[in-house]
Amino acid sequence: MNKQHFMHQLKGLALILLVAAVTLGGSTGCKSKKKLAKEQAAAEYAAKVEQAKSDLNAILEDATTWTLKEKEQRVKTIKSWNLQDEEINSLLDKVEDKLARERADIERKAEEERLRREEEARQKAEATKFVSLESMLKSIAGAPDVNTANDRINQTLMMFATPDVPVLIIISRAGGFNDYDRPTTIRKYLEYLKDQKVFGNLIEQVKYDDYGKITELELIKK
Amino acid sequence: MKIKNIILALVISLSVSGFLAAQQDELSPERKQAIDSLALEKVRDLSKYVSIIGNKNTQWSEANRVIDRAEELFMAGAEIGVSSLARPDVLYYNVRAYFERLMRLNYDRVEIEWYKIEYVSDLQRQPDGTYVGVITIFQRFRGYDREGGLVYEDTTKKDITVYVKRKETQIGGRIIGFWDVLLGDIRVKETSR
Repeated sequence: MNKQHFMHQLKGLALILLVAAVTLGGSTGCKSKKKLAKEQAAAEYAAKVEQAKSDLNAILEDATTWTLKEKEQRVKTIKSWNLQDEEINSLLDKVEDKLARERADIERKAEEERLRREEEARQKAEATKFVSLESMLKSIAGAPDVNTANDRINQTLMMFATPDVPVLIIISRAGGFNDYDRPTTIRKYLEYLKDQKVFGNLIEQVKYDDYGKITELELIKK
Repeated sequence: MKIKNIILALVISLSVSGFLAAQQDELSPERKQAIDSLALEKVRDLSKYVSIIGNKNTQWSEANRVIDRAEELFMAGAEIGVSSLARPDVLYYNVRAYFERLMRLNYDRVEIEWYKIEYVSDLQRQPDGTYVGVITIFQRFRGYDREGGLVYEDTTKKDITVYVKRKETQIGGRIIGFWDVLLGDIRVKETSR
């Protein structure tokens, strides 16, 4: 009986010890996990700080191959980490300034490129616009006979407001002003081409009226 | 104060006109080259007109139109010399009369060719601002009869005085400065077969 009671008591004690051990052991394990998590968070934070500094410095020193968009995305990500670090805040300010300048530079270049293309297109259109007139002038100079030349002169005159439209021929251009030959009229100039059989000028400028007829023609010696 | 302003305006005005005058006095080599070429070109133009007017295949109306254009190249009162191997003297005609005579020459076919067109005396600035020079040309004349036979042929050396003057005109509301080239007398220097 005593032995049985002793055994029972022993079992109870063992149970208590077990519960105590489990209780104590569990409490100690929970504490370690928190610490671990805290350490892990601190390590992650430190890694982010390190990464942020590295990336921001790389951007500042142009030591990346990132595009502007990628750099801006990187800055956005770093800001989202909300790192409370004075150095990083200072770096962020500098990088944001730099990226703003880069953005402005890219936009300026894009605008310049747009204007250049517009000017190119305008010049091309202008050149194309002159092509038809120039080919008519050449065709008069190259006419095989007087009657053909006269037909071509009459066709060409239809492009002009009147046969008396002035024709100016630049003979030299220096110091910001032009020297001209004696001004003539389009009729006389077209007849000159017929007689001399040479068109030795380039079209410099053409002025039109509201009806699309030419009111002034400026040529320049080749 | 007013007098001061007037004097200042006068000084500025005189400086500007002096600057412009000086600018015109001293033509850059490029500008001088341009007017040299322009004057030569006018003589070449004349050469073509002479050929068209003398050509018996040129329609009468065309020849008269070309005479008008050729006449515009000359100064008023300019004369053109005509020589012949058949006589020692040189006859001088006014420009219009010369071209009308050229148009009516008594040949069935006429060939007139100008060559060696060049300056013998470069354009020199005169006190009145006009540039004057002399361009020489050689003219080969051939006249044929109805059968195509060569009836007459000569080569004449001629000197053409050229006058180039800066002028201004207003076109489309702006002042255009241009060089007016006018040809003077055409003098016969020598005639040979």
